[in-house]
Amino acid sequence: MAEPAQGALKPSHDGRRRWRPQWTAKMALIPAMTITIVCFYGFIIWTFVISLTRSRLLPVYKFTGFDQYIRLFANERWWTAMQNLAIHGCLFIGGCVVFGYLLAILIDRGIKAEGMFRTIFMLPLSMSFIVTGVIWQWVMNPGLGLQDAVRELGWTTFEFNWIVRQDRSIYTLAIAGVWQQVGLCMALFLAGLRNIDPNIWKASRVDGIPVWRVYFHIVTPMMRTVFFTVFILMSAIVMKAFDLVVALTGGGPGFSSDLPARFVVDHILNRQELGLGAAGAFVLLCTVIAVISPYIHFELRKERGGRGH
Amino acid sequence: MKKFSKVAALATFLSASVSAGALHAQTAEVLHWWTSGSEQAALAEVRSAFEAQGGTWVDTPIAGGGNARAAAVNRMLGGDPATVFQFSIGQQLRELADQGLLANVNAVAEEEDWDNKLPPLIVKAAKYDGDYIAAPINIHGENWMFFNKAALEKAGVEVPKSWPEFIEAAKKLGDAGVIPIGLGGQPWQERIMFNSVLLGVGGRDFYAKIYSTLDDDLLASDTMRKVFETFAALKPFVDESSPGRNWNEATNMVIRGDAAFQFMGDWAKGEIIAGGVEPGTTVGCAFAPAIDTAYIMTVDAFAFSAIADDDAIAAQQKMAHVMLEPDVQIAFNKKKGSIPARLDVPADSFDACAQMAIATLQDKKTHLVSTGLFGVPSAVSGAIDDSISNFWNSADMSPEEGQEQFRQAISYAK
Repeated sequence: MAEPAQGALKPSHDGRRRWRPQWTAKMALIPAMTITIVCFYGFIIWTFVISLTRSRLLPVYKFTGFDQYIRLFANERWWTAMQNLAIHGCLFIGGCVVFGYLLAILIDRGIKAEGMFRTIFMLPLSMSFIVTGVIWQWVMNPGLGLQDAVRELGWTTFEFNWIVRQDRSIYTLAIAGVWQQVGLCMALFLAGLRNIDPNIWKASRVDGIPVWRVYFHIVTPMMRTVFFTVFILMSAIVMKAFDLVVALTGGGPGFSSDLPARFVVDHILNRQELGLGAAGAFVLLCTVIAVISPYIHFELRKERGGRGH
Repeated sequence: MKKFSKVAALATFLSASVSAGALHAQTAEVLHWWTSGSEQAALAEVRSAFEAQGGTWVDTPIAGGGNARAAAVNRMLGGDPATVFQFSIGQQLRELADQGLLANVNAVAEEEDWDNKLPPLIVKAAKYDGDYIAAPINIHGENWMFFNKAALEKAGVEVPKSWPEFIEAAKKLGDAGVIPIGLGGQPWQERIMFNSVLLGVGGRDFYAKIYSTLDDDLLASDTMRKVFETFAALKPFVDESSPGRNWNEATNMVIRGDAAFQFMGDWAKGEIIAGGVEPGTTVGCAFAPAIDTAYIMTVDAFAFSAIADDDAIAAQQKMAHVMLEPDVQIAFNKKKGSIPARLDVPADSFDACAQMAIATLQDKKTHLVSTGLFGVPSAVSGAIDDSISNFWNSADMSPEEGQEQFRQAISYAK
């Protein structure tokens, strides 16, 4: 945005020259803008319109007001899914941030064989969520995974059956999700840590400040933008979480580990509840905006303010 | 060129015997979701019969029923429909018919007297506004109980005939170290077991009334309470790893003797045969315990897109004819593990379980259908699945609460 404006301000005798860079930039943006407007905003509006109809298998434009929303809010499974989204979101983002940061700090402290550890932590990222889900489904299956293995070693009362318990299954999602994404967070944090001015470390050593306090009170506040990036990246993953839950628990037992994205897809594709699914998608969008936008707004304003000084 | 005219001549010759005579090679693109070994082998029987009668078969397999149905609908809306496509009979197909997207095969059906040869409930489900909008190719049964004979002998129990007997037997099996019920804990499998209990405790009239009327009073009735109590009593007989398990893994537990019983549709026979066991020998089949005899039918069917092209229409008519030919019905259904949709086809070449089903269906009072075929909208059957699965997997929900949740889920989704 800033560059064409500068170009336009350049003193020039030739009107065409001043006009051209703007024009080409706009031309180049047209395809991207069209795609964004049509595919993104256009389809959001369309989804909203559909959610006001009684469409089942096919879009039918008979409007029924907010009927679908009333049905949605009376649906126990929807609320389970929304609650799960909150639980999963907090645990997943929190887990990724905490463990990612700790791993990055450990590696940053000059651990031996750094390259090897970095690779190990990054490896899960190369797998799709489907594969991650299947692996953890086996690991957590009480009959053939961890529980069975430990019991065979002799600890016969050992229990790890979260995946088959309605009140615990949602936590298994966070375990598998964090396992997969923690490497990415670690890499981002590590890049941030490596950018910290070495003089800060030298100064703090001179002052005799303990290492943990340097991290806690000096380095971490300086890493604000990295935290912000990680938060945004991980929130996007949480909101669209679909494949992981399909592969890991199938939303079960019952619908105890269902997530809104799966609810929407299930209702649109398998249950021919186009209207209800669209209503769910729209409510999900509103929720995301409501939760994330204050944070983004806050961060961006701070950044802009910071740059101004 | 020469080859083409030969084919055309053959087609003309053969189709002379069929009502819809056409002069050209009739090409049918067939969209379906039968991608597993036994399914493909079964469909190949239809294909070879269709080709022998001069048709040209263009195969479009799409893995997964949901994906295939979505593809069929999308292509229809996009103006490039498949000539013939597999679809579930029920509310969704009616919606397509309502939008004028389907062709009917009344001519063939009338000539071949489908009205009297197919079970009346299936005739009703396959028709929309008096038109046949689908050709049902087979009948699967959903209220089967497969059991491992050696496991039953080990625990010294007989095949139970009623649910109280079943619960007694299951206790003995558990004591003998056998998992009483091999269950795949996915909502649709839990629903199949629930329906067996519903039929077994409530009886066939009750079952039919529940799903055909979805009546609030019936759902709140004492009989329904008993159904939920019996269903809840089965919870301890399932092993811990059940949630999420696929149905064929559960079938293999029964084949190996790790589990004693499985409640599943007769497609499990395919898995039993693949495991090297002839159904009815070491792995036995019986109807799930019930107070009266009934067979919960579900069908595989093909529907026909509305296409304004004479060749395509002729191909559709021919396909409908081929699919219900007695020879094709026998060859197809033996491979598929189902029984013929036509009840007048000789049963003697089928396995013991299928023969039992065919014999049972000769009495029309035993005819029942699965939820979808009663015309229950998929929204309601989805809500039914949700609430049954939620009840089954909940550790602390009482049968009363389960029943109430079931009733509410249906009334919200209606």
